[in-house]
Amino acid sequence: MKVAVFLPELLRHLFRKPATVDYPFKKIEVPPDFRGTPFLHPEICIVCKACERDCPAEAIEIRSVNDAEKKFSMIIHNDRCIHCAQCVDSCPTNPKAMEMDHLFELADFDRHNLKKEWIYVRAVLKKEPKPPIAPAP
Amino acid sequence: MAVLKTLLYLLVYPGLLFLFVYSTFAEWFDRKVFARLQNRMGPTHTGRWGLLQPIADFVKLMAKEDIVPARADKTLFTLLPIVGLAIVLTAGLLLPVWMSDPAAPGMVSFSGDIIVLLYLLSLPTLIFFLAGWASTNAFSIIGGTRVLTMLFGYEVPLFLSVLSPALLAGSWRLAEIAAFYRAKPLLLLPNLIGFVVALIAVQAKLERTPFDIPHAETEIVGGTFTEYSGKKLAFFRLMTDIELVVSSALLAAVFLGGFGGGPFLGFVQFIVKTLAVIFLLSVLRAVTGRIRIDQVVTFAWRWLAPLAVLQLFIVILIKGFVL
Amino acid sequence: MSFNIPIGPQHPALKEPISLRMTVEGEVIRDVDIRLGYNHRGLEKLAEEKSWIQNIYLTERICGICSHSHATCYVQGVEKLMEIEPPKRGIYLRYLVSELERVHSHLLWLGIAGHEAGFDTFFMYTWRDREVVMDLLEMISGNRVHYAINTLGGVRRDLDEALRKKILEGIDVLKKRTEYYFKIGASEPTFVGRLAGVGKLSKELAMALCAVGPTARASGVTRDVRKDDPHAFYDEAPFDVATADTCDVLGRTVVRIKELFESYKIIEFILKALPPGPVAVKAPRKAKPNEVISRYEAPRGENIHYIKSNGSEKPERLKVRAPTLANYPATVEMLRDGFIADIPLIFAAIDPCICCAERTVELRNARTGEERTVLFSDLRRMANERARQLPGQRNVTWPF
Repeated sequence: MKVAVFLPELLRHLFRKPATVDYPFKKIEVPPDFRGTPFLHPEICIVCKACERDCPAEAIEIRSVNDAEKKFSMIIHNDRCIHCAQCVDSCPTNPKAMEMDHLFELADFDRHNLKKEWIYVRAVLKKEPKPPIAPAP
Repeated sequence: MAVLKTLLYLLVYPGLLFLFVYSTFAEWFDRKVFARLQNRMGPTHTGRWGLLQPIADFVKLMAKEDIVPARADKTLFTLLPIVGLAIVLTAGLLLPVWMSDPAAPGMVSFSGDIIVLLYLLSLPTLIFFLAGWASTNAFSIIGGTRVLTMLFGYEVPLFLSVLSPALLAGSWRLAEIAAFYRAKPLLLLPNLIGFVVALIAVQAKLERTPFDIPHAETEIVGGTFTEYSGKKLAFFRLMTDIELVVSSALLAAVFLGGFGGGPFLGFVQFIVKTLAVIFLLSVLRAVTGRIRIDQVVTFAWRWLAPLAVLQLFIVILIKGFVL
Repeated sequence: MSFNIPIGPQHPALKEPISLRMTVEGEVIRDVDIRLGYNHRGLEKLAEEKSWIQNIYLTERICGICSHSHATCYVQGVEKLMEIEPPKRGIYLRYLVSELERVHSHLLWLGIAGHEAGFDTFFMYTWRDREVVMDLLEMISGNRVHYAINTLGGVRRDLDEALRKKILEGIDVLKKRTEYYFKIGASEPTFVGRLAGVGKLSKELAMALCAVGPTARASGVTRDVRKDDPHAFYDEAPFDVATADTCDVLGRTVVRIKELFESYKIIEFILKALPPGPVAVKAPRKAKPNEVISRYEAPRGENIHYIKSNGSEKPERLKVRAPTLANYPATVEMLRDGFIADIPLIFAAIDPCICCAERTVELRNARTGEERTVLFSDLRRMANERARQLPGQRNVTWPF
């Protein structure tokens, strides 16, 4: 029966820096693919409503503001969002209209401050220009 | 004039105010060492280096709501924390802090004061049991019975090991024991076994890991303190802190040679030696896990008591043949 | 003189609400009455309202620690229903995250065992090393908990070379630390004294009461879904089933530490043998009418999902049988004739994930104490009748 077998390691820790990160005075950087909050690039969106259909938390709401001008409004309810990024995966455009940023410190006193709205005109899918013919050698 | 001087001793130093401030400092030191041993930070942001954290905890508890259970005995419930605090503060007055003159040292110093100090340190255990019993809660009653069961284990080794250096020095007076060991420091070495036994027994008296069974948080919620809240809990916590200081000062006075060299140097020695003992108690707290109540009694009677008796035997041999 | 002690629903030893009513005599437990249902969220009903792809995120949130196991079990079942086969690289990545989750869950459990035994230093050290795994998972999937890396037909993200090297380095660090914890766990006398001989469950009882996971493997029962029913790639990966013979809490600790080493072996095999290629195939929106059972070895034992489809976009029925639910009858046997001081350790040794197990509701008459089973159609009829009879109320005043 060995008594206090890890006493040397314990005493060695007295001279090391603590492993705690002194949040909120010091913060760790998040990795590049971190799933923060979703936001929209309105100039690319073609209003296919795939994100609204696939969101598990019903956090995306797309309404038509003006039918003639093809104006739509998208509200992202960040108080309902579960940060799964399924909207980014479902978005069919290339480059994607939905993107996740790195914000995670979202706390607020009023849940209505967390909703974001975009009013925009539906984008039209442009045809890809034909690549130029390679010059003859 | 004498009355004013006595009041000063009682209330400021080495009485109420000094013990209050120093015990909060001792709790900060204990928490910081415990945290650093576990590679974390400990109190950091309240005051510089977190020094005000124990005082902040005390003030917060004083401001909270005080709930007394309906079936509990109100007088007993309310009186216990105050009586407990009074007991440990009285014990603190008996410490040989001012050592300018062995003829008139400390506040109150008389032959046999080491026995009175040990007796005053045993009373808080009974207070904890009564506190658990008066709460009429299943968890508190279990906690109270565990406190008394542990008393059967560690009390005898503690008394034997603390009284052995007193036997070697030939006096029952703390001031004289400390003066004896300051004159002959080599005689501290035979008392080493007693020092180790006393450290472990004091850890059991203070109910810290590995012996914090009576208020084991994960098993019986709060143990004896389950129903206490607000000012009463603040007093109980202050009582445990002052008990820590008094016990470590007792060990330092008996095993580490007391606090001598005049009022200023004595004060510095007091701080250094009690912090050294508290450091050893914190390391003991970090190294081990909690053991069960039946294992405590088995451990105490199989290891601690024989070692204490061995220490007594060594002391008697030395006293007989050398001195 | 026996009296009842209620452990829970609120208790510092439990992380989630569950009621264990113990009948004790002195310090010895004579009987235990387990009551569930404090954490019931109606997940199985909610799963019938959401489409196949939305349900991945719902099943993931059944539990926080074993989130990937529920999502993977569900996705395995739905892929069988839709008759699609994910590509090899997708399978390898999916089970890489599975093994990393097993590492994180076992390190978490070691810390909890230390904390329940009062050994706080061990708790702090293991949770500090768990941060290594959580940072790796954050780099792979974008979040520390709820990885959401599964999708119908494969995984959502890919691994590049730099990340692969980082994972291998992290695993090296963790291997050294785990060996150190093995040494401590086996030799610190106060810790071993708490764990040895506590919560005994003999091999026959373990098999009769259908215990699963490390709880059963510590009693010598070699039962592991990865070996008994190998799917995907587990028949290619080199690993052994970790068992112990002591049948007590110390055996369960040793089994979990051995499983950590096996997981490191599997992770290194995956990273070295990762095949190139796509990570997912496209999945249809609807599934043909069929029913399927999907099994998976979660860190706590065998996880079973039963999924039934009726040809539409939403499942007809989802039933989840979490491993902790299978271990409850064994817990009653383990607690019998034990000490009160051992309750937290015995209960923590089955690694309870109570929120996984909240699937049933029991109706008991408050006066006579007898049970009653009510059909769902009857409940609906009673609710409709009551709504019709009550007068319409506006501006109701609350009684408190």
